Amino acid sequence: MDPTIIKDYELTLRELTFNSKSIIDVLTTIADENKLEAQGIVRAITERITKCIPEQKLYTLYLLDSICKVVGLPYHTMFGNEIFRIFTEIYLLVNDQTRAKLVKLFETWKILKAKNSTLPLFPEDQLEKIGNFLRQAKPRVAESLQGGIVQLSLVADISSLLPIMEQRGHSDPSDASIPQKISALRELKLILLLQQFGQPELAGIQARLTQMKTQIAQDSQANAIVPSNANNSESTPKFTSSQSAPAKSEATAPEPAKPVATVLFQNLISSGLVKVDQSLKKDSKPEYELVLPKHKYSPQSFNTSSASILSNMIQDANMSQLPQHEQIKYKELLKLERKLGTVESFSSNLQNFILNNTLDASTVQVLYETKSLKCSQCGKRFPSDDRGTAMKKLHLDWHFRINKRLSNHKTNVQSRSWYLDTAQWVQFQENELSEFEPSTVKKDVNTRATSTEVAFVVIPSDETNMNNVCAICREHIKPSINPATEEWVWNECMLAPGNNSGRKIVHVSCFEEANRKRGAENDGNGRVKRERFA
Amino acid sequence: MSVPSYLDQNAPTEISIPHGAEWRFEVPYKTIMTLTVKDGVGEIFGTELPNDVALRLTGRKGAVYAPLSSGCRLQFETHPNRDNINTSNEDELVHQYVSTDTVVPQLANLSFALEVVRLQAAADRLRQKTGPKVLIVGNSLAGKTAAAKTLVSYAAKMERVPVLVNLDPKEGVFSLPGLLTATAVRDFLDVESVNGWGGSPTTGATPHIPKQPLVRSYGFVGVSENVELYKYQLEQLGRATLARLKDDDDARVGGLVVDTPPLTMKDIDVIETIVLSFSIDLIVVAGNDRLVVDLGRKFELQISQNALAVVKISRCNAVTEIEESFVRKCQEDTIREYFNGNFRTRLSPLKFDVDMKTYVIYKVARLLDYTSQMAFLPSGDSYTADVEGEEAPQKEESLEKYFVKLDDPNSSNLENSIIVITLVPVPANGVVLPLELLDSSVLGYAHVLKVDDAKQKMSMLFPSSNNIPRHVLIATDIGYME
Ligand SMILES: [Zn+2]
Ligand SMILES: [Zn+2]
Repeated sequence: MDPTIIKDYELTLRELTFNSKSIIDVLTTIADENKLEAQGIVRAITERITKCIPEQKLYTLYLLDSICKVVGLPYHTMFGNEIFRIFTEIYLLVNDQTRAKLVKLFETWKILKAKNSTLPLFPEDQLEKIGNFLRQAKPRVAESLQGGIVQLSLVADISSLLPIMEQRGHSDPSDASIPQKISALRELKLILLLQQFGQPELAGIQARLTQMKTQIAQDSQANAIVPSNANNSESTPKFTSSQSAPAKSEATAPEPAKPVATVLFQNLISSGLVKVDQSLKKDSKPEYELVLPKHKYSPQSFNTSSASILSNMIQDANMSQLPQHEQIKYKELLKLERKLGTVESFSSNLQNFILNNTLDASTVQVLYETKSLKCSQCGKRFPSDDRGTAMKKLHLDWHFRINKRLSNHKTNVQSRSWYLDTAQWVQFQENELSEFEPSTVKKDVNTRATSTEVAFVVIPSDETNMNNVCAICREHIKPSINPATEEWVWNECMLAPGNNSGRKIVHVSCFEEANRKRGAENDGNGRVKRERFA
Repeated sequence: MSVPSYLDQNAPTEISIPHGAEWRFEVPYKTIMTLTVKDGVGEIFGTELPNDVALRLTGRKGAVYAPLSSGCRLQFETHPNRDNINTSNEDELVHQYVSTDTVVPQLANLSFALEVVRLQAAADRLRQKTGPKVLIVGNSLAGKTAAAKTLVSYAAKMERVPVLVNLDPKEGVFSLPGLLTATAVRDFLDVESVNGWGGSPTTGATPHIPKQPLVRSYGFVGVSENVELYKYQLEQLGRATLARLKDDDDARVGGLVVDTPPLTMKDIDVIETIVLSFSIDLIVVAGNDRLVVDLGRKFELQISQNALAVVKISRCNAVTEIEESFVRKCQEDTIREYFNGNFRTRLSPLKFDVDMKTYVIYKVARLLDYTSQMAFLPSGDSYTADVEGEEAPQKEESLEKYFVKLDDPNSSNLENSIIVITLVPVPANGVVLPLELLDSSVLGYAHVLKVDDAKQKMSMLFPSSNNIPRHVLIATDIGYME
């Protein structure tokens, strides 16, 4: 414990009487460098929020925000459990304008993950409570705010990029451009904090930043890969939703990583965010200058970003490795993207496109003959490559099983399942219902066994207690005689999995039900206990 | 020699649909039409039909569209539908004709434009950008549902998994009428099912891949009956749906297609609630130019910020008229399909006598009833809900606006009604927490067959034959007689 650090911190905190980027940066850095004092710093900040006048509370919350986003551990977890209380306390004391800013801030919390982690910045339950609180407090607030949300998250983006750049600067001091690049980013961050931007500019900036972040993430991933372990390298980007490609394990060598800073800065330059001036004189240093993309980015709908995402994507994806039907689809969509214009107001073109465009025959075929194998029973289509052929075979197997069972009306007793609860549905994987999912096959086998022949458990001859109970629903089960074998049995039951005694049984129906629900069971969100009539 | 008329009708009729045209049909409930695509490609609202397979349709109005230059040749024949032979006020003839006036090319254009957006979402390696979140609005019979079916079907054909949200309580989408659902659609719709959507999972085999809906109960078929409850439930559905989009990458890229009841500018608060609750970024107006303009004005801010766009599509003329009795019959059949399955998949519901005293039963409140009731309360004596341990300084939800407890459940208020089985177990002390009840989605539905007032027993039909839970029940306004 170093009381002087905390004392100093408290003093500097008092200067935070206006939205000062520099003070927040300084205090963030101090927090970063003094993680051992985290407890004291957290207390100082929380106290400051409580004590200062309402107008200044927001700025201290910005500091809290900055520390959690930039430094991360241990701060974000320490603030995390209090964040609902802190946030609502402020919210209740401030004016509508400040409330709007609070909501914006909250929006960024909902999106951002904690540094170096896949967890959210603050605990989900706290965020959910804030969300509920805001919904109740002022349901209409969110509506007027959608525009401004991005700006603060951009600042956060830059804040997370900066330390990476700095690190690169340290590790590669020979690259003289890095310090300049850093200062350009810093300047951009500052302007973002000071000035209100229109949506188009913000979208432009966001697009570039997103790209940079991705690049950095990839580069650091690529750097982390041990060359001998090529199998684990980045898999080809996955564009389709359904099944992964068959195991074709040609070990593609990872692309040599370009130095992050170079890539990053090339992006900045190519985006027009940074202008580079280099005289033709030998050895002259390039001059970097920040250019704001005032007119570079025009309005876009759907938050679409850079010029032609599709064409970039197609280049990235190395088209030749994609299945042919997808290659065709991308090519057709690329044509449409040009007509629609991703950059030049997608939405105003959209109306004209819907009413007046005539799709090329080749585009229409994306829905039909591009996948030329059509199921003779239901009309579902599959591509004619190896994978499509295999899928169609699985699909036909499924038809066969289902038809066989459906034709067996008398023994195929089935009923509607219960619906899922909200938490289960949110986590439900739709392909669990698909004909390609192995679990379906397994389940099919189970139900078939029970539906085409009556299931029962033969009561062991040495059993003294003929009455039993279902281990799932606890219903009492009485013995009955199997007319075919004249044995005593527990009807409609099966041995519980993992059972050794021969006595632990469950209803077949209970087991299936439990099995089906199992996937979503671990959501911890208060699964409802099922009860049966007494 | 004159041929008897029924033979006439039984002889297969051949139809040729030219490329880009649609063949419209209206099959009464009295009649079963079997339809077979012989050549080319035909589709019903985006669902491609198999070739040389006889499809069985009854009580359906729709159209087969021929998307390819080869056109589509099909055959149909009709038979009387013995189950519905007494359905009154309809004749047994199938009305049918080919028309080149079709909205499908517009829907195809829209689908491909949406696919461009989905690809962009798929390309977002941070997985934050979502696919298009589309709201379809328009008058009655403007073709909203046809558009919704086409959009999700085309998306599924492009290997996307959009979430289909149905906010029209008149329609039972993968479920019963009177409720709101959200369903990720990965696969074909089942054109042969009662309303052309298909079913939810059963304990056994279904000839189509079932769709798994999230179900929120509303309990009326009309939005105006309790617009507060309607908005509350759609907000809840919106939260869950957006959470799904966050959690499930396929759904994130797939985006949303939201189908609605007929809404006009009079219902702008409902439209606004939907736009907010589902973060809608594209409103598609079916066949109402005036509404396009009005919504453009209303959402001017969002549009200027490019957070939202409003476009129109032409009215779909495939279905020009649906009688009230036809709608009602469709709802009844949807309910029957929930409990008993259909001609392909038979289901065995469970009939069970239930002791009413061991249950807590609510009934959905009509808003009008509620407000007039409130007028009699002396001021300051307003209802406060029993919420414990909620530290959030939020306004406590009063339950009476939404559900009224049935203190005297009996045959007159329960018999022949459809009842919601909530997720809330009957508490030992009988006190139900309002928020818990309001937050509950739907476990399933039961049908009250008969109430014995003397014995305090009700005879109920349950969809599932095992694990009937003793949960709080909510009686809906939806009646049904077997
Ligand atoms: Zn098939
Ligand atoms: Zn059991």
